Amino acid sequence: MSSAPASLLEVDLEVERRQITVRAGFGLEAGERLAIFGTSGAGKTTILESIAGLTRLNRGNVRIGGDLVAGKAKGEAALEPRQRRVALVRQPTTLFPHLTVEENVAYGIRRSPARGGVTELLERLGLTMLARARGAALSGGQRQRVALGRALASPFRVLLLDEPYSAVDVAAREALRLLTIETCKEREAAGILVTHDLAEAQAFGGRLGIIDSGRLLQMGGPLEVVLSPLSRRVAQLVGYGGFVPVPAVANRFYAIHPDRVILGEVPERGLVLSGTIRSTRPFGPRYECTVAQRSGEQFTIHLDEPAVAGEECTLTVLDPPIVVA
Amino acid sequence: MRTTIPAGNLAATGVVPGFPSAGRIVARGSTVLALLGALAIWLALLGPFAVLIQHLSLHSIRAALGPPGALDPLWVSLGASAIALGVMVLLGTPLAYLLARGRLPLARLVELGILLPLMMPPLVIGLLLIFLIGPEGTLGNLLADIHLTGVNTFFALIVAEFYEAAPFYILGAHAAFASVDPRIEQDATLLGDRPLQAFRRITLPLAAPGLATGLATAWARAMGAFGAVIIVAYYPRGLPNQIFIAFQEFGLSGALPFALLLVVAALPLPILAYLWSARTRSRVAGVEAP
Repeated sequence: MSSAPASLLEVDLEVERRQITVRAGFGLEAGERLAIFGTSGAGKTTILESIAGLTRLNRGNVRIGGDLVAGKAKGEAALEPRQRRVALVRQPTTLFPHLTVEENVAYGIRRSPARGGVTELLERLGLTMLARARGAALSGGQRQRVALGRALASPFRVLLLDEPYSAVDVAAREALRLLTIETCKEREAAGILVTHDLAEAQAFGGRLGIIDSGRLLQMGGPLEVVLSPLSRRVAQLVGYGGFVPVPAVANRFYAIHPDRVILGEVPERGLVLSGTIRSTRPFGPRYECTVAQRSGEQFTIHLDEPAVAGEECTLTVLDPPIVVA
Repeated sequence: MRTTIPAGNLAATGVVPGFPSAGRIVARGSTVLALLGALAIWLALLGPFAVLIQHLSLHSIRAALGPPGALDPLWVSLGASAIALGVMVLLGTPLAYLLARGRLPLARLVELGILLPLMMPPLVIGLLLIFLIGPEGTLGNLLADIHLTGVNTFFALIVAEFYEAAPFYILGAHAAFASVDPRIEQDATLLGDRPLQAFRRITLPLAAPGLATGLATAWARAMGAFGAVIIVAYYPRGLPNQIFIAFQEFGLSGALPFALLLVVAALPLPILAYLWSARTRSRVAGVEAP
């Protein structure tokens, strides 16, 4: 044991992967949640496996409650996996194929009183009817529920989720999300979710981190990061589709988010731009239009009404963040 | 897979509606050929068993196996094979597991060491065993200190059977362990298992069908071990030796009853193991076995 820990989970790591070097440094308090959003291959899974102590670090270490879990420290041995109290939901899910759904979910429960909770948990996961089924008989979404249940039933201090709802139908996700968040709060555990779905990352609550090519580029509140990206890359990752140079300032751009644009000239609400509609296509219940400025810059916007291709238009970009190239 | 060809191209492709295409005829032909091949191999493999049954009479069985002491070779073979198998499981299982998980230094060299007895003619193994564990051998001297002799003893029979059969079990177990995803072992330890617990609760049940098949193969090999056995352990007489001796003394009719005895003693375990592992595999794969 080291001296009083700063946070429940302390991460400062560097891992070499074939294509990239993954670096991450952050701390999470008890009950705090972090969602890490990035494209596939950005290093999300590597971060989770490193925090679980399953990957050899090239530098740094991971501590849970002050105890060393991964990496090296003088005169200190890392906790054995069974003592870490880390629950990991992998992608693709890894169930124990020879055990039933119920046995899978109850696997991490050591004390018999806690086993009573399994029935209730199975019910909340919508798995009661499948309690006696084995992994191979389940659909992808059902497998994910079992893996989530197995993690939630175990006495974890840190919950690590790798795209845990990706195969679950959208209607059922909200219930699973609530169950996950509620359990994290009850246990006063730290939770980390990694995903390539920005809405999912924001819905997890807590903080939002953006990862790209192995580096955590920005961390902050789930709305703050999206409304105020610091760099052009972060802005691109969270959905900004156009960048207009800030006049007379080198290397600074207004970032244009397709959903934060209104037709017309309203200078008090943001940046007024004019351009020509290049094309229009349906986008869900709205329309997506490509707009070209006179300078040649192109960007997309989402509108409630279809705009006619070739038409000149004036737009107001609502409070566009200024990003560095 | 069927592809749709525009009508205009029919002439060009030579496909006439209503008639099977050349490709389909070839596909059907190859299916028939494969079935015939499978049947031929099956008959060829089962042929010797059919002949064995056909040429045996109740009278010759009673004459050969009736006299007192006639079944002794059976007990010798069963005892020696069971001990050889026990040693194999005890030493071979951890070795196979470590090999499968890449945790052994010089793994390739170790694998070669396991393969070597498999690639060497059993007769040659027998000759070399005399040098190794015979009274004049390097290990033979050490064995003499604990009153063991490596030639013509029950111990020598066990050693010879071990050399002939162990690679089959170790290679089978290696494949069985390699088929278990190491990530689910990690999951079990993260969920609170000690490494040995995870091995018992997860790895072993999942590898069991493969282990059973390896064990059954090794059992059949040990029971039938002859090449190395006849060199280092002519005595005590096990079943294969008895068959050979009976063949030399009384010809085919004298040897066949012991051959039947060997088949009856050696086969049930492999067959049971096969049936059980097929059932377990299909259960894990989510398909109900009959």
